This record gives sequence, C-alpha cells and structure tokens, in this order.
Amino acid sequence: MTATIISNLPVFVVITPLFVAFILSTFARRIRLVESLVITVLALGVLGAGYLASLVLMRNGIPIIYSMGGWPAPWGIELVAGSLSAFFLLLVAGVSLPVALFTVDNMTHEVGGSVRTTRFYVLYLLLAGTLAGMAVTNDLFNVFVLVEVATLSCCGLVSACKHPRAAEASFNYLILATLGSALILGGIGFLYIITGHLNMGFASMELSRIWQDYPHVVWIAAGFLLVGFGVKSALFPLHVWLPDAHSTAPSPASAILSGLAVKGYMICLIKVLYNLFGSTLIQKFALHRILALLGMVAIIAGSLFALAQDELKRRLAFSTVAQVGYVFLGLGQVNAQGLTGTLFHIASHAVIKSGLFLAAGAIIAATGKTRISEMVGIGRKMPITMAAFTIGSLGMVGIPLFSGFIGKWHLLSGSLTAGSTLAPLVIVIGSVLAAAYLFPIIRTAYFEPAQAIDGQDPGVPQRIALILLAAGVVILGVAPGPFLELAGRAAVELLALK
Amino acid sequence: MIDLVLALLSGTVGGLLIALMPRCGSRLRNVVALSSSAAGAVFSWRVAGAVLAGRTIRVAGMNGGLPWSLHPDPLGAVFGLIVSTLWLFAAVYSFGYMAGEERQRTYYTYFLLAFSATLGVAFSGNLISLYLFYELLTLVTYPLVIHERTGEAMKAGAKYIIYSLSGAGAILIAIVITHSLTGNLDFAGGALLADVGLRTGLDWLLALFVAGFGVKAAVMPLHRWLPQAMVAPTPISALLHAVAVVYSGVYGILRVVYSVFGHELMGQLGSSHILPWVAAFTILAGVVIATQQDVLKRRLAYHTISQLSYILLGAFTLHPWGLAGAMLHMISYSTLKMTLFFGAGIIAKQTGKVKVSEMSGVGRQLPGTLTAFGIASLGMIGMMPLNTFWSKYYLMKGSVASGKSPLALVLIGSGIVNAFCFIPTVVTAFTGEMRQPVAEKRLEAGLMLVPTLLLAGIALLIGLWPGLVWPGVDAVVNRFF
Repeated sequence: MTATIISNLPVFVVITPLFVAFILSTFARRIRLVESLVITVLALGVLGAGYLASLVLMRNGIPIIYSMGGWPAPWGIELVAGSLSAFFLLLVAGVSLPVALFTVDNMTHEVGGSVRTTRFYVLYLLLAGTLAGMAVTNDLFNVFVLVEVATLSCCGLVSACKHPRAAEASFNYLILATLGSALILGGIGFLYIITGHLNMGFASMELSRIWQDYPHVVWIAAGFLLVGFGVKSALFPLHVWLPDAHSTAPSPASAILSGLAVKGYMICLIKVLYNLFGSTLIQKFALHRILALLGMVAIIAGSLFALAQDELKRRLAFSTVAQVGYVFLGLGQVNAQGLTGTLFHIASHAVIKSGLFLAAGAIIAATGKTRISEMVGIGRKMPITMAAFTIGSLGMVGIPLFSGFIGKWHLLSGSLTAGSTLAPLVIVIGSVLAAAYLFPIIRTAYFEPAQAIDGQDPGVPQRIALILLAAGVVILGVAPGPFLELAGRAAVELLALK
Repeated sequence: MIDLVLALLSGTVGGLLIALMPRCGSRLRNVVALSSSAAGAVFSWRVAGAVLAGRTIRVAGMNGGLPWSLHPDPLGAVFGLIVSTLWLFAAVYSFGYMAGEERQRTYYTYFLLAFSATLGVAFSGNLISLYLFYELLTLVTYPLVIHERTGEAMKAGAKYIIYSLSGAGAILIAIVITHSLTGNLDFAGGALLADVGLRTGLDWLLALFVAGFGVKAAVMPLHRWLPQAMVAPTPISALLHAVAVVYSGVYGILRVVYSVFGHELMGQLGSSHILPWVAAFTILAGVVIATQQDVLKRRLAYHTISQLSYILLGAFTLHPWGLAGAMLHMISYSTLKMTLFFGAGIIAKQTGKVKVSEMSGVGRQLPGTLTAFGIASLGMIGMMPLNTFWSKYYLMKGSVASGKSPLALVLIGSGIVNAFCFIPTVVTAFTGEMRQPVAEKRLEAGLMLVPTLLLAGIALLIGLWPGLVWPGVDAVVNRFF
C-alpha cells in the first residue's frame, strides 16, 4: 500500500488540483463549498508535498520516478520527483495555501459575483496544478504544455478583477507571453530535431554526444529558450508586461503571480539548462555569462524602476523584476553554492513577495489608497498587516534572521567562488536599493507625523494568511534546515550532469 | 552564561514592555527603562568581571549552515562595560531631557532595543553574530535618529540607513570572502587569516572590512551621515553618535585588525602603512572642521569624527602600546564626550541656545553644567589630571615605538586645535555678559545635571587613578599580543 502511494505521489500532487479545478464550476452557486474545496485540496497538497519532500530527503538523492500510462521512458512520459521537484512542490503548496486562505470571504467584492469568483478559483487551482507539474515533469513537450496552461491561467487571473486597466494589462501579457511560448516551442523543436528525444534525460545524453555537429542549432535553441523563458519570468528588459499585469490583478492573484508563477518558469528554465544542456555545455556556450550579466542588469534596473514608483503595487511589481535578476545572476554561477543560493532565493522571494502583495491588498482594500505617500500612519491602524509587511521587507533587504539573508549569503559565496568581482557588488547594491524602495513605505506607515488615515486589519482568514507568510519569512531565516538541505541537494544533483 | 543571556535580554524585554504599554504614565515608563538599563548594566558588569578573571562564557550554535556564537573576550567585555555603564547615565539624563516631549514611548522602546543590539555587537563571538547585531543596531537606532519627525530629521535618517546598509554590504562581502578562505569565522582562537598567510588580494579584503565598519566609525570620507544625525534628541546624539553606534564601527575595525587579520599579518600588508595616515587625516581634518562650526552639536559631531580616529590610529600602529592607548581612549573619550553632549543638551534645553556664538554668559546661568563642560574640554586637549592624558600618552608611545613618530606630531597638533575648539567657548561662557538667570535646580534639570557631573567626575577619577581601568586594557593587549 505504502509503496503504491509513494510511486503514485508525483502524479497525484499534479492531477488532484487539476481535477478539482474541472469539477469546481459545477458548484458555482455555492461559494462556501467552492472555497472549502479549494482550501482542502491545497491543504492536501501541503501534506503531499511535505511527505514527498521527506521521502526524497530519506532516499538520499534517488528520485521517485512515475511513468505515465505504464510506458517507460523514452516512449512514455516520465514524472521525476527529485530534490529540485520536492523543493519546488513544497514551495508551491506552502505559498498557495496561505494565499488561498486570504481569498476566503474576500473575493466576491473584488471579483464580483459567485460565478466570477468560482472562475477565479478554477484558474487558481489550474495554476497551482500546472506549477506542481512543472516541478515534477521530465519531458520537454510537457514543459511546453504546462507553460501554456500556466500562461493562460495567469491571463485569466490578471483580468479577473474589475480594475479599469486590467483588460489591457491582461491583453498585453497575453501577446508577449504567447510570443514567449512560441519561442519556447521553437527551442524545444530544434532540440527535438537534433536529439530525437523529448525526455530530458535521453535528450541530454544524445545532445552531449552530437552537439559538436550542430553548434548553431544548439545556439539557436538555447537563445530561443532563454528569450522565451526570459519573457515569461519577466527578465529585464523583457519584463514590460509584468508591472501592469501584477499591479492591476486582484491582490491574491498578484501574490500568486509574483510569488509563484514567475518561479515556475524559472524552474523550467533551470531544468532545461542544467538537466538538458548540462553544466559543461552551459560553460562551452558561455550561457552562464549571459545569464549572470542579464541578472545583474535586472537587479539594478528593476530596483531603480521600483524606486521611482509611488503606487504601492507597482513598486512591488518592479521589485519582482529586480529579484528575478538575483535568480538569473545565481543561475550564471555554475557551482553548488550559487545554485543553492538561487533556489533558496526563489523560495524566500516567493514567500516574501506573496506576503507583501497580500499586505498591500489588505491596505488598499481597507483604505482605498493605492499610493505610498497617502498611507500615512497605517501601521498604527492596521498593526498585523503592517507588521507582516515590515517582516517581508526586512527579508527582502536580507537582514540576518530573515529568509533573504540565507539566499544572499549563498549567492555571494557562489559568485565569489566563481571568481566574479562585479556580481557580489551588484548583490549588495541590490539589497541597499531594496531598502531604499521598501523602507520608505514602512517609514510612512509608522513614523510620519501627519494625521493617520483610517483603516483596520482585515478579517480572520486574511490575518492568518499574513501571519503564516510572515512566519515563513522568519522560519526560513532562523531555521531553514530541511529547505536549505533540499536546495543544496538539488544544486548538487543539477551539477552532477556534466 | 546566564549573565550573558540576561544582559542581552534585559534591554529587549524592557523595550518590548514599554512598547506594549501604550497609555501608561511617564513615571512607570521611566521605572521600566531605568530598571532594564540597570539590569543590563549589572549583568554586563558580571560578564565583564568573569571574562577579565579569565573564565570562558560561550553560547554558540549553527543556523542554516552558518555558525553563530556569543563569546565575549576581553575586548568585547571592555566594550560591553563601557556601553552598559554609559547607557545607565543616558537613561537618567533622558528622564530629564525628554520630560514633556512627544513620542516618549517610541523613544524608550528603541532606546532599550538599541542597548541590546549594542551589547550583542560587544559580546559576539564570531563574524556572523557581529554582522547580525551590527545590522540590527542600524535598524533599531533609525527611529531614534528621526525622533523629531521634521523634514531634516527624515533626511538625516534616510542618509543614516543608506550609509549604514552600504557599509554592511561591504562587510558582508568581506565576511563571505573570509569564510571561503578559512572556513572559520570564530574569534576564539588566534587570528583567522594567520594560517592563510600573505597572499594577493588581502589588501582588498582589509579595505572592504575597514570601509564597511568605517562608515559607522565615521572615518573620512565616510563620515557625512554623522553631523546630520545630530538632529536626534541630545541623549541619543550623546550615547549613540558619540559612543554606542560609532563605537560599534570602531570595535568592528579593532576586531578585523586583531582577530581577523592579526597584527603580524597586518604588518606585512602594504595597506597597513596607509591606514594610520587615513586615521591621522581624519583626526586633523575632523577637529579643524569642528572649529569652524557654530552650532554646538555640529561642532561636537565633527569633534567626534576626529576623536574616533584616535582609537583607530592606536589600533593601526599594530603595537601593544598603541593598542593600550586605543583601549584607554575608548574608555576615556566616551566619558568626556558624553559630558560635553550632556552639557550642550542642558544649555539648549534651559536657555534655548544652540550656537557657540550665543553662549557668552551661560556659564553664570548654568555654573554646574559649564564646569563639567569645561573639565571635559580640558580633557579633550589631553590635560594632565584627566583620563585622556593617559590614552594620549600611550597612543604617542605606540606611534613612536612602531616607528611612525610623525603620528605623535599629529596627536600633538590635534591637541592644540582641540584647545581652540572648546576653551574659548567655556571662557566666554563664564566671563561674557550676563543674561537672564535660569534655574538649574528644577527636577528635570537635576536629572540632567547629576549624570553630567558624575561623568566628569569619573573622567577625573580615572585620570587620577588609571589603575582603575588598567586591568581591562592589559587583558585586551595580552589577548592579542
């Protein structure tokens, strides 16, 4: 029995949310039931991901492999749950549950009507399921399908709200994201043509044998994939869709988009780069230099853009652009320290940014103010919300005891090991800039002398969501134990392929 | 061990207590502030006593693959001793100075949290813990800098944060490099990099460390936040911007020189010949700029910048006598500078005068205050019966003994400029034209005056009997040489 559960776990964590998403619309009139179903599924997801993670940790790096339909690779589609998968699954489950909790009793007025709200939840579960799929998939075409489904759900989530600019933002996103998908498909196609495999393991073996015969094709494939995933994960200067999309979406959607969706594409990129091309080819084609350079530009540019925004959600959105830069910078350090840092940063940013967006959403909902300069004294009126926001900000700046510090430490260590002198500098400048764009919000909220505006903390489920995410930031900072362990092992496994 | 934990906790607990009782009267709040400062002081004294008696006190662990450790050695113990003692004085002074001011709850909350953070810096046993408390200190002192909530204060606060975080960034890079070189960040053994030996790039590592900690130590040209931060209430300027915060920078540099690099390796580095001159430049430039300032607190700020580099100069001589001078100066200067700031605060509070040019006659209005101020001014020159005479003596001795005798001339020159800096003010304050008399005997005034006079008294006492502090200095020198 246990063996059956274990061997089927990788597929269950993916199809359960997808399946529930499909049946959800039949209950559209009973919004309570819909909400409790969503929460139940995501809570099950946390349990499943936690169990899977503990299994992976206990199995010492031997992944759990599931062959779809009983067809073994290379003929069938393979799901592989290794350290990286367990890590990302845990993250997806751990963030999507609190964010869903935040939507309880809260979405109807923002989205309008129980049918529209149900649609929101359908898209939400679809997104969660596809992100889980990205974690475990080992098949190139599956990657494409998941990316497409995720993109469409994201578009739907952006336009779920009645925000006047939402339709336009969503359309922009759709156009650019489709371009990205096309490039990804092209890249996958090129790789399939020269290797004859869609399974990443087999494709990788073939590629390492034949890449010298087709250097240009490999170049083009890598370029297509890089630009394609770059658009999807909002790598500067391909980020132009993100600030509008993430700032006009309903706040829980912004949280899940900035916190998780962007990360899903990064995980796909990491898999394609390190599981398919392999670290040797990455270095042969100097991809790591391009990644690191793009990352550095993104950190500085994203932070400077964030600094210039007065609208709270736009500032947070540009901050995501900057933090995406850290991930790319880390991907460019082809060593265990750097990759550990990257993965941990992905997790830390997911928890922090979703918390920040939820807090911002709570403030905007309670006060109707969207600009930072108007949020005077909000810290005294909404203590829990603003405390969560402050903890998130400290994490983002990378103060020790908060999650950002651990990621920053490993990224610094990795970039120094790689012998870079510019990267460490950019990393610390980025965190000073993060302080420069986040601390003024805290200052306005707590220390501005003018008369405070009105507002109060949101309802109980929302408070629990905020507290959970803030606690996550502290726990990841104080006792990152298993999470860091998984990230470290994933980094080693990614580098194992030469 | 329990003393160590309690010393660190007393400030935090007191601060949180005050934060959690929003509507209580100022009397109760003062009682909490005083008792937690006093508790912190008593426990720190016990820790320092134990450490100086040669006992090991250590709490350590691992966290996320990174080691942390609280393990005061003599240097940390002496720093903790200075900080906790002066915090008590500043607390009492605050009761007088802040009476009737707005936002007292915020003030005392962060005042006490900063106490814990500073003691944390002092008691850190490795670079990670030091970095942690150093960062926390920046964050918890920010609300104190912007206490007035004016535009000027907000600007000063922003500058303070950006300067400090940039410095901390440099330190973090340096720590990661050190970690990758040695795999060990603990201060408990010998110097960390001693086994690594001389290799290229170490000069840059040193430069990163010194630039990082130099921000808080206000080494020129990284000093610009300090004069601006003087918009804070006077007890904060006195305690944080003359002692606690700036000392944490100085302390960091002492750690880097003696615990990370070690004096032997330092002596082989090319930059060890440049650093004393950076300090010497800051000493002279700081005090010369100070004489040009008309606003008394700004004058004191530039004077602080100058005096901090005395300590650094002593450390950079890499000689036991130089280090002894640095430690003596760390102890002595702090008492005198607190006296000067407290005096300036009383003058501003009682007469509303903040400029040096307006001070004629205040001596007869506030005789006690100006007496203390005068004593401290003499001390800043390094006059005989005061404690700074001894520190200056050892600093010069160290400079000459390490073969850098021109540094001794710098110290003498700085002494002369120091005389111009404060003595004329004190003289005109006593001899100048008399204005409206002001009561110096009200309760608040008493609460301010007593700590001021006591500190001046302590400075005299140490000056007359340097053996009082010598065991601490001796222990530090023996620890590193």
